Amino acid sequence: MKEDMFLISEIERYLEGEMTVQEKAAFDELRRSNPQINRQVEEHQLLVQELDHLGKRKDLQAQMDRIHQQLDMPAIRTTVQEATQAEKRARIRRRTIANLAAAACIALVTSLSTIAIIQNSSRNKSTAQYEDVRRVLNNIQRSQNALINDIKDKNKAPLNPGTYGGTGFAVSGNGYIVTNLHVVAGADSIYVQNTKGDAYKAVSVFEDISSDLAVLKIADSTFKSQPLPYALKPQSITLGEEVFTMGYPRDEIVYGKGYISAKTGFNGDTTAYQVSIPVNPGNSGGPLLDTKGDIVGIITGKQTTSDGIAFAVKSAHLKRLLDEMPKDKQSKKEWAHKSKLEGMNRVDQIKKVQEFVYLVKVYN
Amino acid sequence: MKQIQDIAKDRDLLLGLARSDGKSLEIIYSDNFPVVLRMILQHNGTEDDAKDVFQEAIIILYEKACKGDFTLTSRLKTFLYSVCRHLWLKKLQSNHGMYALPTELEEIIPAEEIVDDHEAKDEQFRIMEKAMDSLGQPCKTILEDYYLHKHSMQEIAEKFGYTSSENAKNQKYKCLMRLKKMFFDKYNTSL
Repeated sequence: MKEDMFLISEIERYLEGEMTVQEKAAFDELRRSNPQINRQVEEHQLLVQELDHLGKRKDLQAQMDRIHQQLDMPAIRTTVQEATQAEKRARIRRRTIANLAAAACIALVTSLSTIAIIQNSSRNKSTAQYEDVRRVLNNIQRSQNALINDIKDKNKAPLNPGTYGGTGFAVSGNGYIVTNLHVVAGADSIYVQNTKGDAYKAVSVFEDISSDLAVLKIADSTFKSQPLPYALKPQSITLGEEVFTMGYPRDEIVYGKGYISAKTGFNGDTTAYQVSIPVNPGNSGGPLLDTKGDIVGIITGKQTTSDGIAFAVKSAHLKRLLDEMPKDKQSKKEWAHKSKLEGMNRVDQIKKVQEFVYLVKVYN
Repeated sequence: MKQIQDIAKDRDLLLGLARSDGKSLEIIYSDNFPVVLRMILQHNGTEDDAKDVFQEAIIILYEKACKGDFTLTSRLKTFLYSVCRHLWLKKLQSNHGMYALPTELEEIIPAEEIVDDHEAKDEQFRIMEKAMDSLGQPCKTILEDYYLHKHSMQEIAEKFGYTSSENAKNQKYKCLMRLKKMFFDKYNTSL
């Protein structure tokens, strides 16, 4: 007991640094040689440290409690409350602004996409409603044509009936033919064939995209000039006037009768008439004639959504086209005469006209 | 520039705190308590909660300051705020197991390590506190007087009416042995 006490006081002296240098050296030596004493020293050190810690902590706690008591709590409370309220208000405002911004963004996106969709669909509808009446030739017609070609041995046209078909009509005695540009567009070679079955090679010599017209020239030595029976009437004609057309929706020439139903074409197109007349693929480029036998337009297309509504380019555009053509001087003179068909009955008119209406076959 | 000046000022305060300078402690306390109070009140706490949490944060700060290897890299305000936030978060989680973390309580500076570190050290402290409390009078006072208030054995002998300082020394020795036993019993089992 006495020894233990002595040891403790020695340890305390050692830790407090109260020992002399020699004593300290001796004690260090003792710690090294005696692990039990060493452990006691360490334990004591830890104990005193913790005690000290406890004391300091208590002091601090007491000090803090004192400070806390001195704080002006009511004042702090009010400032804190004010700050909290201000922050809450700011947060609500921020949230409102964020919500508004999100809503605005959504509205913007929605309206823009709606506009885009509507525009797109209306465009789609337009193209869906309008249809060029050129004909895609199928196999049945091909074989039919092949039979005809067999019978007519002087025919030089290739047996292949072509990829596309349309109608054209002569605008001069010496082999100029007008048809729709969309019939001959992208063609490698073009053949025209009349009602007698005579086929001639033709080349496109003049094209006009805006009015969808093309002028072909028969480039064949066997073609014989003939004076035209009809004339071109460049003036606009009246609403409801009876008109007729001839064309090749099949390999056989087909007659169709109708009337001018509106003075503008598809979607208010002023370069065309709306005609109430039965047309089918293959009628494209066919002539539109009035009762006197004057050319008043060229059939170009029809509306798919309703039956019997066709469109025809006005003859004024054909006249302009022919005027613009530099080479064709002869045709101008020929238009000067009056129509030879005036006063004839329809059957005779058809008989005269059909010789100048050609089936246009396009290869590409 | 202002930020750097502020941090320098805060470092001075911290040095004062380490020297147990009452003025520094007072400044730190009164400057930062309102902010912490506001934060705790916003997150379902009371004023007493705020006081407890804030004082614990000050203790952490004090111990770090005393150790000397702590350098303040942010404003004192920021440090205390994040430590308090983390302490409060822990308390909330332990009190209500399923308490959803408020998103506003995300860390500003990672105080998790600081708090966990502190908790481990605090364990030793609690053991010592308990041991001292269960020691009873007059042992507790004798030890406190000798080890904490650095009174001499002579003074202690007079205060407690021992005939000599040798007797007081004997009494102190007994008390120390009891404390040592209690402390190390707990300390070794808890570690």
